[in-house]
Amino acid sequence: MTETATRPATALERTNRQTLGWAALGLLLAALLVVPIVVGDEFVYHIFITICLFAALSTAWNIVGGYAGQLSLGHAIFYGIGAYAGVILVNMGVSPWFGMFVGAGVAVVAAVVVSYPCFRLHGPFFALATIAFLEVFRVLALHFRDLTGGATGLMIPLKIGWEWMVFRERLPALLIAFGMLLVCLAVAWAIRSRRLGFQLVATRERESAARAAGVATVRVRLIAVSVSAALSAMVGTFHAMYLTYIEPASMFSLQLSIQIAMFALIGGIGTIWGPLLGAVLLVPITEFARGALGAEAIGLHGFVYGLVLMLVVLFMPDGIMGVLSRFSGARKAQDGGDEGHIAAASPSRTPPEIGKPVLKVENLEKHFGGLHVTNDVSFTLREGEILGLIGPNGAGKTTLFNMISGFLAPDGGSVSVLGRDGTWHSPSDPGEYAALGVGRTFQIVQPFAAMSVEENIMVGAFHRFHAVADAREAARQTAHRMGLGRYLEDEASSLTIGGLKRLEVARVMAMEPRVLLLDEVMAGINRADVRRAVDLMLSIRETGVSIIAIEHVMQAVMALSDRVIVLNSGEIIAEGDPKEVVRDPQVIEAYLGKEFADA
Amino acid sequence: MRLSSILATTATAALIAGPLAAEVKFGALYPFSGQLALLGEESARGVELAVEEVNANGGVQGEEVVLVRGDAVDNNQAIGEARRLISRENVVAILGTYSSSRSIAASQVAELSGIPYFELGAVADEVTGRDLQYLFRTNPTAEDMGRMSIQMIVDRIAPVIGKDPSEVRVGVIHEDSSYGTSVAGHQERFGEEAGLEIVTVQGYPASTVDMSSLVLDLQGREVDVVMQTSYQNDSVLFLQQANEAGFKPSAIIGGGGGYSMVPTAEAVGTDVIEGVFDVDFTQYTVDPSYAPGMEDFVATYREKYGEEPRSGHSLNNYVGAMAIFGALDEADGFEPDTILAAVEAVDIPEGETAAGYGVKFGDQNQNERAKMMGMQWQDGRLVTVYPEEAATSEMKIGE
Amino acid sequence: MQTFLQIIANGLMLGGLFAIVAVGLTLIFGIVKVVNFAHGEFLMVGMYATYLLTTGLGVHPYATAIAVVPILFVLGALTQRFLIQPLMNARDEHIQIFATVGLSTALINLALLLFGADIANTPNYQLRSQVEIGPVRLLQGQLWVFLAAILLVTGLQLFLKRTNIGRAIRATAQNRAAARLMGINDRFVYILTFGIGAACVGLGSALIAPLYPSSPTIGTYFVLIAFVVVVLGGLGSIPGAFFGALLIGLVDALSGFYIGSDLREAVVFGIFLVILILKPSGLFGTRMSLSHVSP
Repeated sequence: MTETATRPATALERTNRQTLGWAALGLLLAALLVVPIVVGDEFVYHIFITICLFAALSTAWNIVGGYAGQLSLGHAIFYGIGAYAGVILVNMGVSPWFGMFVGAGVAVVAAVVVSYPCFRLHGPFFALATIAFLEVFRVLALHFRDLTGGATGLMIPLKIGWEWMVFRERLPALLIAFGMLLVCLAVAWAIRSRRLGFQLVATRERESAARAAGVATVRVRLIAVSVSAALSAMVGTFHAMYLTYIEPASMFSLQLSIQIAMFALIGGIGTIWGPLLGAVLLVPITEFARGALGAEAIGLHGFVYGLVLMLVVLFMPDGIMGVLSRFSGARKAQDGGDEGHIAAASPSRTPPEIGKPVLKVENLEKHFGGLHVTNDVSFTLREGEILGLIGPNGAGKTTLFNMISGFLAPDGGSVSVLGRDGTWHSPSDPGEYAALGVGRTFQIVQPFAAMSVEENIMVGAFHRFHAVADAREAARQTAHRMGLGRYLEDEASSLTIGGLKRLEVARVMAMEPRVLLLDEVMAGINRADVRRAVDLMLSIRETGVSIIAIEHVMQAVMALSDRVIVLNSGEIIAEGDPKEVVRDPQVIEAYLGKEFADA
Repeated sequence: MRLSSILATTATAALIAGPLAAEVKFGALYPFSGQLALLGEESARGVELAVEEVNANGGVQGEEVVLVRGDAVDNNQAIGEARRLISRENVVAILGTYSSSRSIAASQVAELSGIPYFELGAVADEVTGRDLQYLFRTNPTAEDMGRMSIQMIVDRIAPVIGKDPSEVRVGVIHEDSSYGTSVAGHQERFGEEAGLEIVTVQGYPASTVDMSSLVLDLQGREVDVVMQTSYQNDSVLFLQQANEAGFKPSAIIGGGGGYSMVPTAEAVGTDVIEGVFDVDFTQYTVDPSYAPGMEDFVATYREKYGEEPRSGHSLNNYVGAMAIFGALDEADGFEPDTILAAVEAVDIPEGETAAGYGVKFGDQNQNERAKMMGMQWQDGRLVTVYPEEAATSEMKIGE
Repeated sequence: MQTFLQIIANGLMLGGLFAIVAVGLTLIFGIVKVVNFAHGEFLMVGMYATYLLTTGLGVHPYATAIAVVPILFVLGALTQRFLIQPLMNARDEHIQIFATVGLSTALINLALLLFGADIANTPNYQLRSQVEIGPVRLLQGQLWVFLAAILLVTGLQLFLKRTNIGRAIRATAQNRAAARLMGINDRFVYILTFGIGAACVGLGSALIAPLYPSSPTIGTYFVLIAFVVVVLGGLGSIPGAFFGALLIGLVDALSGFYIGSDLREAVVFGIFLVILILKPSGLFGTRMSLSHVSP
């Protein structure tokens, strides 16, 4: 670690870097347009059109594959739909400029139908499902000859002109391809830098944490898939006009799907400009390799291609963007202990009046197989109250939390939350709980690892704000309150365990919850941090928030709680003032064994 | 490597034939890499041999023919390479392409650029069915293949098995890409016109690993004649599984691809493939008096590449290229319109090319004299049995 | 009726074939948690090895298994050690998929380079001769494949359940961190598992080579079917993979006859999708790492 690498980048440096980045990007994009015009060679035009095309497809793919983290290897479905829609309509005398949108519409429908059931699947399963869908589409395109022309494919009449997207000279085709690339980049950029982008990345990183933060994970993914499919289809329409001839084998092709994903991977998966860089670098190399090696011996070029792919994956797993950010001296996490200070009110102040009930749990039941994990649990939480939830390991505390935050459906009983409108609601999923102002943390911290601390908190803040600037402002305020102010720019994964726990709370606090469910935020942190955490919770409560806290750290429970519930084997065995509860023989028995209680 | 050695040989040839004034470039657009590379390369060899022969005899219009390769590995690439050949290499015409889909894509580019495109090997109907002005095709098509296989049934097979054509039950199976689908479509159409009873037409993916259900289906339908248009893997699979299921139709007529290749026969065994028919481009067992120059071609091929031709693709590409070069030699200059006029005037009668069929461009610039050949596996060899004038052996049925 | 029985028999035989290819894949998938897109190419490598050994040494193709199985074991172990292991902790789990895609591309093209696009025929030593069982006829080689699949599945199952190494493998699959705490060398376990998975397909290729001509792309068709089988059977379930394979074999054969050979792929993948969506843990599996509420 060199001196410069560890030194936190100053704001000025950062701005300089940003300007430099934008300038480089502008130059690159300009070159895509200018080089072929200056060279004026048809083949160079073709190469650059191909670059634009693949960069556009790959950028569109990245919205699903990168931002949303759903590895689609069936994106050729949408590309193919766009191509077929365009060609079929052209043959009916409809301009591809219109057909493009028809294709996009059909692709969106297909995307929703294909993806919705598949979102339950993750990683390789999602990828396999998309491959299977692609195969089905290909076979259907072969089978329904009346519509698609079957295996022999479809051609477009060579009607020249802008109206038909077919040209004798190459410049207009380049302009269209370039324009599509710009549209794709603009959409990708807009998504990534807005609320939707944050929510997508959060969903990708930690789905349950995102749901707890009020992100409608299925909805945002469906939006991502729809946008991505529509863009892919539009590019498909253009490419069909450019090819003038389409067939199922080349349109609904697994190889094409893999290639699209590959450009994004090599450029930098999940980054805005990565797919563009991947295509700019790889398309010419592929062309060159084919020219240099293709004629040498059958298979040599493919062999080298495969080898290069493996090497890239092994040595640049974060793609070109990863290498670039390493070069530009990426900020390094500074691990100076938890020096952050909590701008909390001193705990000595008298607690505010405990008000009316805000959350009612009635006769809750849950079985896991033969195990009765929650047995007739009922309690009420009041406004501004801190309720401690304690009990030995396996008592069913976290299960209870999962049921009162919508992550688990109870087998019996009910949970009702008082809405801001003053009426009682019975929410059923994390989104509804979040909407009613119930926020939770997780026992095992769930940071969005690929995001900065600030962005992590913003995910929570987006629950209240639509605009990025507002969410950022709210996140900053929350961060300062939580003593995370100086880590705003750091990657979440670089925080210490105490920092992560505070981040977990900060993310929820940014949602401004009315009921806060804290799952062991003090476990595993040092004494100083425990004290700070206690202060923190008291200061939160002062704002009128009700808290239920699962805790093992007894000293904290005693200091904090207005009331304590003791859970053992799924049942409430004691409830009341903390000092009295700890003297209850049943509680002692549950914790320390029978002999101890009798003694 | 290979290209430079060609250049070297052409240079030597030029020395012998006297100095050639200038060079004229032609594009050779074939799939040289990827899945179709084997037969793409085989096709290109035919063109290479034609170029050598032409240069050894003084070139075209006294100019040395230089061949520039383009690799049409997929449709997008076919377009790119066509562009490169036209704009960078300034070729006067493009020869190609073996694969129909590449041909369709690339020839649209040539059409828009106003450069002549000569298709020497792709069979799909769509290649010439598009009213293109600059595209010419010398080789026989899917339609010819379909027609020929039906003619064989009506003319020869039906009489021998003692049935009226209307009683002959025909099953058509084909791999489901463009190639198999279009041939099968013609077989169905011509078959119905000829009054045959087409009992089923079924496609399947060429990569399949099991055809037993298809065999059982054909067996259940009591098919007399099976026509299969296929690649190699599926030809082997069908012949083996039909044999193992005890399915013995009166005739199996294969279409090109796997049926013309010796490794197929080796894979299924000569006893299994004995008597199986094959309709394809002219192969090397055609009557030499019907295909003058074919034996010389094989000899030159062997000398140059050190092996036997792997299929008839090289021969057919050679014949097409020779016809084109011959026509251009008569013309004056290489302007596209000059080339068009020269090629439109070509009139080579049947029996005067190394592939047997003649060359004359008719409707849609398709060589209307192009013909497929009817062949049969006999004693481990593929021999030509149909039509009469090209046959080297008698057709054997039901022995 | 006779036809129906024959279709069923053909379907079962086809299922045996799919099983012997898929067993290794399910092992790798279930334990190393890697989707090995190069699995089909392992089969291809094995088939070419069988072809070369059989024609070169003039021995029975089954005898080549003595060499082919270790070769494939080494290939698999090397893949894990030098391609997958460095990516085990990659931020993006998709990376491994692309690594195996790269390997698959390289292997296919290497075969193209070495052997050409032509098919290579392994001598079949009468393995394609007929056996009549009641009303149906089958091939000797198919029966051996089927039998070998049963033995392989049983053997692997016993290995995983009864031996110490097998227990270590299962422990690692269930909880890598815990297994490591218990003193299990998880890296070694993964290398071993990948090797065994590849060795299984090595055994399969020695049995399949005499029945099918080898070609560089022979693996591509098998691998998609093998994935279908693995997911149907339930992640990592070896008996599941076997019954999944039989099911797909039957579906393939029946739909090929009753629906039409052009649509049977759509039927197979359609069934795969329906099951994947409705019962993602597979027909015979118990659980799978799906979206979970943690903790």
